[in-house]
Amino acid sequence: MSNISNSLLQMNNIENMNQKNTVIHRMEPAVKLLITLMYLIVVISVNPYQVSRLIPYLFYPVIGIILAEISLRTMIKYLVIAMPFTLFTGISNLFLNREIAFPMANVVITQGMLSCCFVLLKSILTILAVVILTSTTSMDDLLYAMIHFKVPIIIVTQIMFTYRYIGVIAEEASIMYHGYILRAPKAKAIKAKDMGPFLGQLIIRSFDRAERIYQAMKCRGFEGYVSFSGKKGISGKGWFYVVITAGILIALRLVNISILLGKLFM
Amino acid sequence: MHMSDALLSVAVGATMTAVSTGIIGTSIKKINKIELEEKKIPMMGVMGAFVFAAQMINFTIPGTGSSGHIGGGILLASLLGPYPSLITMASILLIQCLFFADGGLLALGSNIFNMGVITCLVAYPLIYKPIIKREMTPKRITIASILAVTIGLQLGSFAVVLETVASGVTELSFLTFLSFMQPIHLVIGLIEGAITATVLNFIYQMRREILDSALRKAPMKPVSLKRVLFIMVFATLITGGLLSAYASSSPDGLEWSIANVMGTTELENNTSVHNTLLNLQEKTAILPDYSIVNETGDPSPASTGIAGVLGGLFTLLMTVIAGVVLMYFKKRNAGRPVN
Repeated sequence: MSNISNSLLQMNNIENMNQKNTVIHRMEPAVKLLITLMYLIVVISVNPYQVSRLIPYLFYPVIGIILAEISLRTMIKYLVIAMPFTLFTGISNLFLNREIAFPMANVVITQGMLSCCFVLLKSILTILAVVILTSTTSMDDLLYAMIHFKVPIIIVTQIMFTYRYIGVIAEEASIMYHGYILRAPKAKAIKAKDMGPFLGQLIIRSFDRAERIYQAMKCRGFEGYVSFSGKKGISGKGWFYVVITAGILIALRLVNISILLGKLFM
Repeated sequence: MHMSDALLSVAVGATMTAVSTGIIGTSIKKINKIELEEKKIPMMGVMGAFVFAAQMINFTIPGTGSSGHIGGGILLASLLGPYPSLITMASILLIQCLFFADGGLLALGSNIFNMGVITCLVAYPLIYKPIIKREMTPKRITIASILAVTIGLQLGSFAVVLETVASGVTELSFLTFLSFMQPIHLVIGLIEGAITATVLNFIYQMRREILDSALRKAPMKPVSLKRVLFIMVFATLITGGLLSAYASSSPDGLEWSIANVMGTTELENNTSVHNTLLNLQEKTAILPDYSIVNETGDPSPASTGIAGVLGGLFTLLMTVIAGVVLMYFKKRNAGRPVN
């Protein structure tokens, strides 16, 4: 149960965050999508062990989070959900590679330490970039941006339908779950042997609901595809943002600011 | 099994995105060809939402005290047919990535391939369907579900291992990583297969026509399957051969073996011509770190490392200061009335 309500709560939280009116929220969705993709590509292209090259990229999420007024708690929640597998990879690197990278004062920095920090930092940067995008852009706007980038309409329609009906079907599941747990008070979750009828019932209910939705849509003139009206492309100002950001990202990729600054102290 | 962006290199991510995009494009064409009835469009969406809801429901795993949830790929394919289920799966994975931080945006291609293509276009038509097609009985549904889910999950986790190792982000060797992943996913696969079987048997008893229509509506022609397999083999060759060799010119590959053999992370390259060329290469290459050179071309790795740590900390400090200053101005402006 907590699983269902937590997930729904998370979606609601994001939808609420979308409603804010900040500089980042007001940016064109297609521009935000493009900038996020560029950022991800550049961050991912940094080679293993080069932690110093990754650090300057923290500027983007920090500035983005503050300007978009995203709560730190939400961010941490996302990171906790997304990190386990990466954490495993990072920590295993720590133990598996004990080659000395360089000594520093009395401490020896190993390649494993570098690659552990690298994997974790890279993970944080990439997750935060996506969270900034989704916390500041509504699903409808994102779908329009996808259409602008020529994503096939059937995919966009599917995403729209699936997203719209998660709440409805999850609520159905939640009612069934309540019914089950009330009759089996000591059970922590549904017993594996009852999962067949439980999910089967949910499928049948979902099918029937889909049928009703289809009929309702048909009454309103549905002809197989949802038509998306209104163009939300990228304006001249939008392109300006894209080019400036791309310039900064590439410059940071080519010049290692951390090393340059570090040399000043040595 | 969702892969995050941090586990992928650009080369592997781009290859997998291209492969998945190609396969989805082919699937859309197929769907259009078989004239997907318009009723199926909302049906796919609602079933996508169902898989979401199903993944939120935990069940107890007998004898372990822990709980798990189903993935739902084969379930979806057996209800909607292969191509529509792949499209639905892709939508689910995108929403999971955007709203639940489950899998990365650039890793979406990999995730669609590992969890969507392998399940809907390989395990379903090659394992599930041949068993069911001859005769649909509860026993056959059970065998088909368990086999298809288990094998699909094994192939999927194998693909995860291949992609992660080819990306060069883990120090785990291919075989060690494989020996971690495969047994865990074998157990998960058997449990999920058994649950899928009971769900499908329930549907079989209650509303058999749903399963029948999925078998009927989306015929998988042998030619199309060959094409899909061809694309997969081709992609594997590219990823495994050309691109990963390119990507793993990182320390994980060539430099790493050099480090192990010679006991140093670098080959001696102190000649001025060599250094000049390396500096030039780093400045001009699109992805300069794919060449074997330390960060500044500085011959001393220790000084570069220390400079990196000091500079990195300083950059971090500057980021924090920038954040605090920005927050101060935001708060000050928030108090002012808007004109």
